[in-house]
Amino acid sequence: MSPQQRLTLVEKPERRFALTLVAPGVLVLAVTTTFPLVFLLWQSLQNINLAMPGMERFVGADNYVRMWGDARFWAAFAFTIIYSGVTVSLQLVIGLGMALVILQIPRAQWAFRMAAILPIVLAPVVAGLFWRSLMLTPDFGIVDFASRSLGLGSHNWLGDPTLARVSVIAIHTWQWTPFVFLYMLAALAALPADLYEAARIDRASAWRRFVHITLPLIRPAIVVVVILRITVALSAFAAIYAATGGGPGTVTEIINLYAYRVSFVELSLGYGAAAAVVLLVLTMLVAGLLFRIRR
Amino acid sequence: MTSRRLRTLALMAVGACLLAIWTVPILLAVITSLKDEKEVLAYPPTLWFTPTLKAFDAVLFGPTNILGDLATSLIVAIATTVLTIVIAVPAAYAFARLKLPGRKPLGFYVLATQLVPPIGLIIPYFLILNRIGWMDSYRGLVLIYMTFSLPFAIWLLVSYFEDIPREMEEAALIDRASRWQALWHVVLPQARGAIAVTVIFVFLNAWNEFLFAVVLGGANVRPVTVSMYNYINTEQTQWAQLAAAALMAMLPVIVLGLAAQKHIVNGLTAGAVKGVGRR
Amino acid sequence: MKGAVELKGVGKSFGETRVLEDVDLEIRPGEFFSLLGPSGSGKTTTLRIIAGLETATEGTVTLSGKDATLLPPGDRDVAMVFQSYALYPHMTVFDNIAFPLRMIRTPAAEIADAVRAAAARVRIDHLLERRPGQLSGGQQQRCALARAIVRKPALFLLDEPLSNLDAKLRVETRVELKRLQRSLDVTAVYVTHDQEEAMSLSDRMAIFMDGRIVQTGSPEDVFSRPATVQVAAFLGNPPMNVLPAHLSAGKAVVGSTTLDLPRFGALGEREVVLGIRPSEVTLGAAGVPATVTLCEVLGDEVILDLDLGGLLLRVKSPGRKRIPEGERVLAGIDPERLHVFDRASGARLD
Repeated sequence: MSPQQRLTLVEKPERRFALTLVAPGVLVLAVTTTFPLVFLLWQSLQNINLAMPGMERFVGADNYVRMWGDARFWAAFAFTIIYSGVTVSLQLVIGLGMALVILQIPRAQWAFRMAAILPIVLAPVVAGLFWRSLMLTPDFGIVDFASRSLGLGSHNWLGDPTLARVSVIAIHTWQWTPFVFLYMLAALAALPADLYEAARIDRASAWRRFVHITLPLIRPAIVVVVILRITVALSAFAAIYAATGGGPGTVTEIINLYAYRVSFVELSLGYGAAAAVVLLVLTMLVAGLLFRIRR
Repeated sequence: MTSRRLRTLALMAVGACLLAIWTVPILLAVITSLKDEKEVLAYPPTLWFTPTLKAFDAVLFGPTNILGDLATSLIVAIATTVLTIVIAVPAAYAFARLKLPGRKPLGFYVLATQLVPPIGLIIPYFLILNRIGWMDSYRGLVLIYMTFSLPFAIWLLVSYFEDIPREMEEAALIDRASRWQALWHVVLPQARGAIAVTVIFVFLNAWNEFLFAVVLGGANVRPVTVSMYNYINTEQTQWAQLAAAALMAMLPVIVLGLAAQKHIVNGLTAGAVKGVGRR
Repeated sequence: MKGAVELKGVGKSFGETRVLEDVDLEIRPGEFFSLLGPSGSGKTTTLRIIAGLETATEGTVTLSGKDATLLPPGDRDVAMVFQSYALYPHMTVFDNIAFPLRMIRTPAAEIADAVRAAAARVRIDHLLERRPGQLSGGQQQRCALARAIVRKPALFLLDEPLSNLDAKLRVETRVELKRLQRSLDVTAVYVTHDQEEAMSLSDRMAIFMDGRIVQTGSPEDVFSRPATVQVAAFLGNPPMNVLPAHLSAGKAVVGSTTLDLPRFGALGEREVVLGIRPSEVTLGAAGVPATVTLCEVLGDEVILDLDLGGLLLRVKSPGRKRIPEGERVLAGIDPERLHVFDRASGARLD
């Protein structure tokens, strides 16, 4: 018996055991994700009007062509990029900054940990509703009240196109910065203390210590948290839906919301499917890129 | 004051601000829910008032109460969690520890399923569930919820399983345990913490889910994340009731979050500590 | 036959890396057999192949007369003590020890008796209700031992079981281990990198270097007649002095000294390495002139570093007096005590 045959024979029971354990999971995933995705692709090539069931027509790449010329789609695409880019950058800067600060006050850490958990466990839809009602409503929301008191006047935080965009980004950032904060805090706390001692003995300033020692060491953690946050930002839905519904008009639509509205409000399911496919491809590309960086 | 003291004070001030920003919305919700509806609309917003439980009463016992929806959320979340754990734990063990044929591609596949945006699944689900009559049903919803909970649970558990020392399983095998016995008697008890963390996260995500619930649920199966919309009317939104409903809806997860914060932080940061310091 | 181990032509590769080459071992029943060697020499891999945790890429493994090459670990009737003890932290000491018996569905009463007997043997019977986390290092180790002996295996495998203990405990436990093995009359295969441990415990040992066995024999054999320079330098504390020399017509030129060695006349002219143990160099009235460069006082003996015309010669001498650096001494080297190795291959020549 060759060495290869020998190894295969000995390993057979283990391999069979492993497959048995994994089979149910893979089956469920195949049924609930792969099969529907194939279906989605198929749907994107059709014209489906939910108001007229039974009248589906195969139209090939028509939906995609239409999307290519659709200004509303491109606006959603652009806003998706802006939304994700801005919120993740803010989350990273604020979260990391806070972690660095709080690291120096070990006694207060428990309070921050508790406060950080609250936004994270909140349902995004509730976060959106809270901000919409309690914070941003003109005349009685607290943000509006604060801005009036500071002499900045009352504004239509969710009704003005620019402000609505800002608000939506602010809400997402508010909810998920604590995640980055906790993540970075753990990463920073795991760094070996003696590195800093050595640097201090070598009389490096705090900034240099940060740039040359801390940053390179936590780079892997930063990349991971960015991957996690970007994928969530790309598929954000409930908070925006609750806060603005995609409005005013369509200015706060990200592709996600755009696809939803097209499918379930305008009842054009095939077209919505095409938008969803685009989002899927975008997400895969971004994730793939980030994973490549991770290596 | 020494510059060090000054610096600490400044840091604490900044910290306190951020603390406030994070907790204010929830505190506001609590305050608002205890106000009378007219009081809510008063301007400037009042901090001193006589608290009343009218809003909670309406939300929990009134004609459009959310009690039934709370139960629905509970059933869906528990069912999702149980199913997910039962399937994910053995799968994660196989990935982490065993010579699984096709391990790399399978692992990649599981990872990739996590990247699928929910809207990409909702659209086909809508048509499929309608066709097979599983729309607005518990089994339909729970099965769909597995799409996001299963890959996440597997991913989380694999990193924990990899931390369990191999030698323990080897010792069990030498001591004549079968692979099933080794898994059950030796490995799983070690993974109790990991499973607890996973349960918490899966439950949390299932409870908070909105998009799937709103599109694929309906009159029969309406988790509490959807019921809040009842309190938003075009003419006159009942702010206090909205706040009360939202708070009631979020009460279980807030309590869970605060009670299990160590576990949550642990689970969130499971990757952070490992990723650090690789020079 | 029960407890005999035979490895024939065993080789092991992990992917592209060759870890073991042509390993032949024959271990007799009841023997205490050590696998000794530096880290990475293949001794632990060999032990794992005997245990069944790894499969030999080539060669056969025969246990108690039966071919076990492809058998899973659970079918081999072996017990193993790991370096980290591998105790089950969520079970009590009692349950840990009882585990192997429970796995084959031994009746509860039998289990209780066997566990208590095993625990008593290693003197932890008062700790049965504790968890491993509550035990000291030494107690954990004995718990691992008890778990191994409770099933009365044919073969006992130990992977550096003492390396996590402090020095003093190590020496104490060493003695207990040997006694235990003798009283149980079980074959033991013991992996270690500590040559003193191997020397003190083994009936016979196999010395591993770079994935091969370079010598097999009793402690006396390997110590007094090491087969290669590597083995010679590995055993003994301090290790054997190895001095390059040019041998010609029964005379060896070592640095600037010439030694008369009629015994090796038959070896002709060649480049060699001479070996002499530090304890076999005598300082006194006759010998080769040398200068002391360092003196370590150990209590009952002193270790001296001597400069022998540019070469380092280490001497272990009984006595308590410090000999100052710079002092000239005469190092007596008895030709009968010299080992000669071929310079190129390292193999023994005499």
